Amino acid sequence: MSDGRLCARDVRVEFSGLRALDGVTLELARGEIVGLIGPNGSGKTTLVNAITRQVPLAGGEVSVDGASLSGLRPHEVARRGIARSFQIVRLFDHLTVAENVEAAALAQGLGRRAAQGRVAALLAEFGLARQAETLAAALSYGDKRRVEIARALAAEPSFLILDEPAAGMNEGESEVLLSLLSRLPAERKLGLLIIDHDMPLIMRLCHRLHVLASGRTIAEGDVKSVRRNPAVIEAYLGSSAEARHA
Amino acid sequence: MKPGNILTLVILLGLVALLVLVPQLVGSRVVERIATALAVSLVLVVGLQTFTGNSGILSFAHIGFMGIGAYASAVLTIPVQMRGMALPDLYGVLAGIQVTPTVGIVLGGAVAALVAAAVAYPLMRLSDAPAVITSFALLVVIYTVLQHWSAVTNGPRTLFGLPKATTLPLTAAIAAVVIVVALAFKESRTGLLLRASRDDERAAAALGAGIPALRWRAFILSALIAGIGGALWGHFVTSFSPKAFYLKETFVILGMLVIGGMNTVTGAVIGTFLIALLFEGLRALETALNASGAFADQVVGVTEIVLALAMMAVMFLRPGGLFAATEIGPLILRRFTRRAPP
Repeated sequence: MSDGRLCARDVRVEFSGLRALDGVTLELARGEIVGLIGPNGSGKTTLVNAITRQVPLAGGEVSVDGASLSGLRPHEVARRGIARSFQIVRLFDHLTVAENVEAAALAQGLGRRAAQGRVAALLAEFGLARQAETLAAALSYGDKRRVEIARALAAEPSFLILDEPAAGMNEGESEVLLSLLSRLPAERKLGLLIIDHDMPLIMRLCHRLHVLASGRTIAEGDVKSVRRNPAVIEAYLGSSAEARHA
Repeated sequence: MKPGNILTLVILLGLVALLVLVPQLVGSRVVERIATALAVSLVLVVGLQTFTGNSGILSFAHIGFMGIGAYASAVLTIPVQMRGMALPDLYGVLAGIQVTPTVGIVLGGAVAALVAAAVAYPLMRLSDAPAVITSFALLVVIYTVLQHWSAVTNGPRTLFGLPKATTLPLTAAIAAVVIVVALAFKESRTGLLLRASRDDERAAAALGAGIPALRWRAFILSALIAGIGGALWGHFVTSFSPKAFYLKETFVILGMLVIGGMNTVTGAVIGTFLIALLFEGLRALETALNASGAFADQVVGVTEIVLALAMMAVMFLRPGGLFAATEIGPLILRRFTRRAPP
């Protein structure tokens, strides 16, 4: 399974006639980190929703290890090994931190005891053990973000998609997140797709970048070449950003 | 089991035990009747909590399943000699069968659960307002069938002749079992995933939770308990008509659950006690007012209006009810540990 791939091929999504994604093709292999970037409204979150089938596809196909996800419902996609976080934190507010993480393991069909073992390990790893019995609603924003990632990992996904994981974090918290995320693909043999507006974080973390603008791919490739791509600079980074990162 | 859950169980079962002990100490038949009715309400409200509390979907259909349980047990337990009078048009196969009330109560629950299993799955795909409205529509369907299926229900007329079998100890014992089941279900795999879907349906689905199937299981369990509660009630009052299973009763049990807090079993139990006792107090007040002749006309409807106002007040002040998120056990433990020095 180490050569497992998540493929979105020629994906099109329409919202009442308005084309939100116009033939986007993206591949994610296990063990790599891909950054999905682009200006606001370029279709990044829509692409994630299309992959996890939370919005219907108007065309194209998404597959995991060559098997198509067509016709599956979101929870069935999740059971094919794709986990995601949301742009706005979506924790189970009335559940404790431990229950939030346990729910993910149980949803994958794990037994009670095995799930609780996995929860304990993840909470320890994420420094959340002391908050295990705290209701999710009572957590600080940074802790909520960490619980959300721990919860996604409890499903032991092959592919993890994080929608703006560093949003709202201060520099110190971002730094901790960066070191955590950079270890994930190798340690857990998963492919990581990250959307974020924090360019320094994306540049340091990702092996490859995929750039969207107005629902189309305008560039893809390694960080260096994308950063120098004139179309990207024009659409997104802006010349001042290019100067800063050069 | 966690210490908090054990404490919850001890407190809630302690309340049920009090319900049996107090009438014995007082030695009053009236108090015993009130306590028995309260225990039946406990079965119904805690049964509703297993679905509504964990799924977050308010179900109006619950009283309909109570009715199904009551009628199912009636058909099977009314003495064969009396059937000719009570249900003259009953189908031949059923007319000859007679079981004891205890078996009737169990079968009443089973029939309600079977009906729920058969009709509810498609409804479980709906969420929010559409789910609530369809549960209301289901209540209307069940009520209409009860009113017009004369062969089995005696139509809109009163059905009589159920053996009186519902005692306070029996009802309280069943209420205790239902409380244990509700707490266990809440902590079970299905219960936990269902509560996750209640808090955030999209996130739960994105983790792999098949929400309609989870809701369906809870709905069947809830209907089973409602059917048992209905049969218990039937063998308590011994005669009833379909009108007993409609809007007024729905409002009362929803009121009990919502005021107590639908997310917790504690809320269901405390809400039932509070509202039932409030009702008795108001009814006594109404009777006293009418007897004293303080007003020119009879005072009526105080209980319903006060329940409605209480519901509004709780929704304003504590939208989640008195016990919105945490059972009483962990709540007490938390307060206790917070006071202790670090």
